[in-house]
Amino acid sequence: MGTLIKQELYKLNHKKGTWFALLFMVVVQIGFAVLSWRYPKFFGTQMLVMNNYIGGVLVDFIMIASAASMIAMEFQYGTIKQLLYRKYYRSQVFVSKLIVLLMQMIGLQVVATAMTGGLTMVVNPKFDWTQTANAMPLWRDYLLTTGGSMLVMLLLLSLVILMATWFKTNAAAIACGFIGYFVTAVAAQIIIMFVQRWHWLKWNPFTMLLTGNQIVDPKTYHALTMLDTPVMIGCTLGYTVLFTLIAYLSFRRRAV
Amino acid sequence: MEALLKVSGLNKTFGKKKVLHGVDFTVASGHVVGLVGPNGAGKSTIMKAILGLIPTDGGQIQIADQPVSITKHQALRHVGALIEYPGIYPFMTGRQHLNLFAAKKQRKQHIAHIIQVMGMASYIDKPAKSYSLGMKQKLGIAQALVDQPQLVILDEPMNGLDPQAVKDLRDIIRTQAKAGTSFLISSHILSELEKVADDVLILNHGHIIQQSTMQALVEAGGTTYIVQTVNDREAFAALQAAHVPVNLVDRQLQITQTDRTTLNAALIALVHAGIAVQDVTKAQHDLEQSFLDLVEQEVH
Repeated sequence: MGTLIKQELYKLNHKKGTWFALLFMVVVQIGFAVLSWRYPKFFGTQMLVMNNYIGGVLVDFIMIASAASMIAMEFQYGTIKQLLYRKYYRSQVFVSKLIVLLMQMIGLQVVATAMTGGLTMVVNPKFDWTQTANAMPLWRDYLLTTGGSMLVMLLLLSLVILMATWFKTNAAAIACGFIGYFVTAVAAQIIIMFVQRWHWLKWNPFTMLLTGNQIVDPKTYHALTMLDTPVMIGCTLGYTVLFTLIAYLSFRRRAV
Repeated sequence: MEALLKVSGLNKTFGKKKVLHGVDFTVASGHVVGLVGPNGAGKSTIMKAILGLIPTDGGQIQIADQPVSITKHQALRHVGALIEYPGIYPFMTGRQHLNLFAAKKQRKQHIAHIIQVMGMASYIDKPAKSYSLGMKQKLGIAQALVDQPQLVILDEPMNGLDPQAVKDLRDIIRTQAKAGTSFLISSHILSELEKVADDVLILNHGHIIQQSTMQALVEAGGTTYIVQTVNDREAFAALQAAHVPVNLVDRQLQITQTDRTTLNAALIALVHAGIAVQDVTKAQHDLEQSFLDLVEQEVH
């Protein structure tokens, strides 16, 4: 397994897109920090901090692209046979890819967070991290928001990986991942309206896309989702595992 | 010699179509075995089954006495392969590909060696997306050989290679085989396979219809003499009348020697018929002819 993880990291490291995406994220974060410095009325530091100077959304996009391509490219380039004919099994190949994706997600989030801290110190040295936001210190709100986003990201990535096992080309898988990102966000908003009428609908996976919001603001979101926050967290993880398992079954059945 | 690869009773069905019917064969250590068959005969399926890439519907595969299946891959740790076409990551260089799959032990030496013997030094550090078909094929073969495996499985390795590269590959295979590496190679370029393989397996409709040494197969086809006369039509009729085994193919009289007296009998028959013989040339049966004969026999 260690060898497989090293191989996945090696491929990720040698993809120009990996570093270009990271650089793009950093540049965008710097750009929004400059806007916050020049136009503080329009680009409030607090709002930008909570969004990692837009880095949070970019982490989502980068990870969707990475998850989609990590599996689809092996079939597109015909490299899957080289991974599978060795002493390793499909399950090990699949898990090694998941581990590397998780490592990439954590790595990107660490960079986005570090950039947020650093940029805030530069553009607004007097920024108060202890000020109240959502009835708690802002730093705590920030950490909960980040943690919640990562949890929801895992759910989304499991869906993207599942879709990636169906596609023959990288580009199609990535495009579908991006479209899916917006569709699920819209679907979550629509379905939540129906939850009020048909309570059983609250268990659907789209509801779990609001887990991040509910972690930060449980009172407001509990009224919408009709689920307790620990239940939401459990269901989010449960659906992530379920979609990942289905993705593995799809990956295992796929002809090489 | 001890068999490194043993395949016995291998069956495979895709949907309702049975593509392999109880395939049995062995590959001895240090032997080069050519797997020959028409398109759709099941060559790639056999290779994929040996590599644990597809499930089978019965039969056994063993490499160095260890079983191989889609759920048993341990025996594949000393196997190198190129199946159908080389899998290449376009964003990586050739050297990075070799680095990716080479074992840690003596990685640099093995990579340097394979680059040198494959003649890839001039482009190994360029991105693989810029490679020609032949360069990609060489890289795929290099990936299969880089770890100096005990068994190498190559599916159409000569595809896209120029004549010099084909000769280089032949030399590499012979050198590695002398060092104890076993090869199972499928190829449509039978003349090349004939030059490199010790043994040959002929596959048709999922059955092994012939398994023998290359030499035995070629010799079994017998020797054919091409006879040129002043009047081939008359000569053909005279030879037929004298019960000499003769064919008129592409306006050429072909006499297949069935025993030592066949050619003598043919020449006597022609002299008696008053037909002047202009030339007699000996044509050895080759793998291609043997293959075509065997497949034709199967049809009839």
